[in-house]
Amino acid sequence: MRIAILLSAGRHAVSGRPAPVSVELQAIRLARELIRQMAGEVDGNAAGDITGFHAGPDAGPLKDALGHGLPRLIQLSIGAQDDPLPSLAAALGAERFDLVLAGRSGQGGEDAGLLPYALARTLGLPIVADACALAAGPQHGTVSLEQALPRGARRRLTLRLPALVTVHPAAPAPLPFAFAAMRRGMLETREGVPAPRAAGEVEERAYRARPKLIAKSAAGASATERLKAATEAASSGGRLIVDPAPEDAARAILAHLRQIGVLRD
Amino acid sequence: MSRLRRDLRMERATHRIEGTPRPRFDLAAMLAATPAAAGRLRRDPRGEERLALVPGTLRRRLDRTQRVAASAVAAPAAAVAEMAPKLVVIAEPAYLVAVVPDAPGGRLTPHDRQVIGAARLLADAGGGAVLALGEMPGEDLAAAGVDRVLGLPVAGYDPEARAALLHAVLDGLDIRHALLPESADGADLARRLAALTGETLFAGAESLTAKAVTRAAQGRRIEQRRAPPRLITLAADASAPHGGAPHEAIPVVFALPALMPGAILSAEFVPADPARVGLDEADFVVSAGNGVRDFTAFRALVEALNATPGASRMVCDAGLMPRAAQVGASGTVLDARCYFALGIAGAPQHLQGVARCEHVVAVNTDLHAAMIERAGLAIVADAQKVMPALIEALTGALAVEAQP
Ligand SMILES: Cc1cc2nc3c(=O)[nH]c(=O)nc-3n(C[C@H](O)[C@H](O)[C@H](O)COP(=O)(O)OP(=O)(O)OC[C@H]3O[C@@H](n4cnc5c(N)ncnc54)[C@H](O)[C@@H]3O)c2cc1C
Repeated sequence: MRIAILLSAGRHAVSGRPAPVSVELQAIRLARELIRQMAGEVDGNAAGDITGFHAGPDAGPLKDALGHGLPRLIQLSIGAQDDPLPSLAAALGAERFDLVLAGRSGQGGEDAGLLPYALARTLGLPIVADACALAAGPQHGTVSLEQALPRGARRRLTLRLPALVTVHPAAPAPLPFAFAAMRRGMLETREGVPAPRAAGEVEERAYRARPKLIAKSAAGASATERLKAATEAASSGGRLIVDPAPEDAARAILAHLRQIGVLRD
Repeated sequence: MSRLRRDLRMERATHRIEGTPRPRFDLAAMLAATPAAAGRLRRDPRGEERLALVPGTLRRRLDRTQRVAASAVAAPAAAVAEMAPKLVVIAEPAYLVAVVPDAPGGRLTPHDRQVIGAARLLADAGGGAVLALGEMPGEDLAAAGVDRVLGLPVAGYDPEARAALLHAVLDGLDIRHALLPESADGADLARRLAALTGETLFAGAESLTAKAVTRAAQGRRIEQRRAPPRLITLAADASAPHGGAPHEAIPVVFALPALMPGAILSAEFVPADPARVGLDEADFVVSAGNGVRDFTAFRALVEALNATPGASRMVCDAGLMPRAAQVGASGTVLDARCYFALGIAGAPQHLQGVARCEHVVAVNTDLHAAMIERAGLAIVADAQKVMPALIEALTGALAVEAQP
């Protein structure tokens, strides 16, 4: 099993300093655990390898990724404003990887999460988003993965390899940083494919937080009315049962819960 | 330095009324002639108060934000809308604005409604119509503001096939904008579509008008702004849902291409384990207040209902439930679909935590509790008696199901 992991030059969410992106470090852990699981099954040295890829002017803080369990990192040297897609497509196309892992979206760049999809399209790979657990699949050449959905739900998928999978923050936390692992890890620099980006029609300015929409109350309403509108959103008419027998109350509640579909049986 | 010094004695002397033994001055004329009066306007506090007076209230109320004046202008417009036909029909749309709602289980989410509201904004700016892509009941869509509907027949979880169908629709119809929610499935679909078409995607827009959209970039340090492109995903709570008259939501005919099998071999939905998810992520919360004394029964009930436990502050303060279970302004604001309150009075601080819940069920001995007023199903009864009855009904129902 050969696994490639895409690493991006991120920025720390609070300090704004250059730092690896946390989901990509989580991807390293998922890859290591998948390979360990396969080694246990196949027993022997056919387990596989993990390679990190980064396209950018310098590896910088991504050396930390080596300390979080990545054995080898290849930096594809391109300009700071260049598009990383052609470099990554060329490097990944040259070698045959079974699985390519990427973060859900970057942090510090465009942050649109579009690159894995464009890369999958260029390489002709299927893509699955938001994995939070990986395991060997039922047949050879498949993986089974868990996709994180909102509200703690999951979707279990079986996927034919080769494929590209993006990792969700709900995946297990990154492996702890080890200095010796960072010293041991290999960092290799290669020439990338220069691809200057066309100037877009996007105008940039300093970010300004916008107020979230809240339930609007009637204009000129009193303070109590406005508080009511904020606290009593969408009250659904309401059925009132006064002093029923406990059994009747239980029956009414269960019927209501079944009707709105929260009670599964 | 450059301002001339006023000589007040001289100014007064020019307004002296002649022919009186004692010196008299015409001060009113003097006031009108002073240059200061022409420069800075004098405030008229009484006039301002008259403007701010809210009409039609028993007690005298002043609205200094002047919202009443705005509503007084808006009121006749509302009256006109009521006279107009109930259903808005756009027979010959200039263009289409496509919306792809998530609609899990065929029901629109609040986020979907906001996206449809944003699409309405883009469509109404130039006489376009909103086209919803997906399988949903018509009335729901009509009320949300959709003009046309086109189903995407995809079996099971196959985002690749959905993206391929969408791509065909985008190519075949005159679609000026395509809007998707920036939710788990919507975000995935939009990026697939962007990769297929090679168009730019404006991901996670945080504000949208017909002229400009904005989004955050570089770890929320930079705001990007541009004219709305064709592909946009909209963040949650960024746009208001459509509030006007319903639209017609009629189906359109379109020949969809045949599909190829994808790389996903099987997909299985695993519902969340309610004991493990956090209160802010939970779908169904059962909550105990000061009216609950039997906490063993409460815990058994939570387990039997397969729900996440919550509590009011009184209960958490008393140490009967962990602080992490507190619902409300100083606890967790829920995002649950259903909230079941046992013995909770419904203080404003508590109700704020429940504001986003769609369904509320309450059991309380007090008919006049605020929670009873908020609830969709309100039971005025003793929680200590209702809880065992519920547990019995649930386990009894399970036993009946297990028998045959
Ligand atoms: C700054 C501030 C922040 C706060 N934040 C929060 C917050 O985040 N969350 C929160 O919950 N509170 C909060 N509070 C406290 C809040 O104001 C209320 O005091 C609290 O919510 C009341 O909890 P309760 O409804 O459980 O208790 P009570 O007010 O004592 O109500 C008990 C209810 O149970 C009913 N009852 C009694 N016996 C029975 C029975 N046998 N069967 C059925 N019903 C019965 C009663 O009729 C009554 O309605 C805050 C207060 C302040 C000042």
